[in-house]
Amino acid sequence: MIWRSVDLRRTALRTLLQLQLNMAASTFCPVLLPLSRINCKLNGIYTLISLNKTAAYSTGLSVKKTGAKTGLPQRGGKELRRQIKQVLQPRTERMAVDQDWTAVYPTAASFKADAVPLPVRMGYPVKKGVPPSKKGNLELLKIPNFLHLTPNAIKKQCEALKPFCTEWPAALDSDEKCEKHFPIQVQKKDYVFAGPSLRHPDARIVTLTVKLSSLNLDDHARKKMIKLSGERYNKDTDTLTITADSCPLKQQNHDYAMYMLTVLYHESWKIEAWEKEKTRADMEEYVWEDSPSQKNILETLLRIRPLSEQQEEGEVREELLGREEVQEYKDSVTKLKNEGETEGNMQQYKEAVKKLLSI
Amino acid sequence: MAASFSSQRRLLTTLCSQLNGALWLNSGVRSIHSTAVCNKNRAARIRVGKGDRPMTYEEALPPHQIAHRKGWLSHHTSNLNGEHGTADRTVEDAFIRRFIYGTFHRCLANELVIKRRGNMLIISALMFQKMPPRKYYFFIGYTEELLSHFYKCPVKMEIQTVEEKVVYKYL
Repeated sequence: MIWRSVDLRRTALRTLLQLQLNMAASTFCPVLLPLSRINCKLNGIYTLISLNKTAAYSTGLSVKKTGAKTGLPQRGGKELRRQIKQVLQPRTERMAVDQDWTAVYPTAASFKADAVPLPVRMGYPVKKGVPPSKKGNLELLKIPNFLHLTPNAIKKQCEALKPFCTEWPAALDSDEKCEKHFPIQVQKKDYVFAGPSLRHPDARIVTLTVKLSSLNLDDHARKKMIKLSGERYNKDTDTLTITADSCPLKQQNHDYAMYMLTVLYHESWKIEAWEKEKTRADMEEYVWEDSPSQKNILETLLRIRPLSEQQEEGEVREELLGREEVQEYKDSVTKLKNEGETEGNMQQYKEAVKKLLSI
Repeated sequence: MAASFSSQRRLLTTLCSQLNGALWLNSGVRSIHSTAVCNKNRAARIRVGKGDRPMTYEEALPPHQIAHRKGWLSHHTSNLNGEHGTADRTVEDAFIRRFIYGTFHRCLANELVIKRRGNMLIISALMFQKMPPRKYYFFIGYTEELLSHFYKCPVKMEIQTVEEKVVYKYL
């Protein structure tokens, strides 16, 4: 059966009119042949099938039904043909320059060659060729695209979120104020990941950080707290970090961390009976009183100035300790032991020794 | 491989020397020689032929070009360091590929692209215009419904159609 070209056109138009043309454009982006080419394929049934198929691939514009089923009026024919031609084209042909792009890509979607009006090419070119074009390009489908996140789209989303936001309190305008009013910081993580489950095992971990300077601790309590926390205390930043992950739920771990902090605080204020036995080796920092350095310097000074009979040794020691040079020497030695050897410290020590021995 | 090559070479040299010595002495001797087998890698590679086979980009590039000239067909977070569920997602992917291949019989123009956005499973496919759109819509709905019941998560299909195979090269 050979179909004449006029009959073919009529059948095409009729099939189009009969079809439901309310298809969502975003889910179906075909690549289509123009009508004229179909008429050349005079292959009988094959022609009819291909015509129906290609005619059926429309992009969502509704075409008004004009007139009766039997024949189409000649005056409406041109208009109808123009409308159908529009419908069969890819959407990019009908996009205005100032269109609303958020309507084309309202949410995250894969790249559609017929909806993105850019001449994008992707892929490794063949020899003496160019990268493959966007039509049917799987590489463009594979990659995540951000066509739904144009600045306009983000602005719209921010506007939509604004009614649910509250203002930052005006009184907290500096970091120090934030730390002063909210010294304890609790960090909790939530995880988004691929998979049907909502639960992530690491989401139960809670980290609590607090600066010891913001807690009410005296000297003994502070030292005890540092000893009790061990590795959890960072000397450089003066922060205590408590990580709780032993309970299965986040709320439980949070409660446990707060409980730990409370217990540490109260325990560090208590003075146990066995704390009296603290030896020099347990001291956190170097203390000059009753140290070998003090003994040595006193002996040296006593030897320099021989003891006269009237004065007693104890008094002499007191007097010597009270002297300015000895105090300077004490400061320099304490600094050296606590802070380590630096240029300034060594200089200070040198000066102090020179003054003491009056060199 | 290097060890087997060197052993092969050694064997060859010994063979040659033996042959040279023994060729005119006893030319009727035949013995079995066996070396280590070293096969060529044939995974996902189309061997170059007459030049009449149209190939898509995906088929033409071999798997060692992944991350160089090819992307990945499946995107999900489970392959990252310290993440859980790697094997589950991989098995799901394999099943989905077979399922779609069977459901859309001979309609697939190229491999499936599977993406996971949080909970959601998104299947992007390039198809030929073999069936009328109503059939396509039915199959899409059927797939989405069935797979979302299997995997307990929202499944979305995004289909694009091409008239014929998008040819990159002829091999």
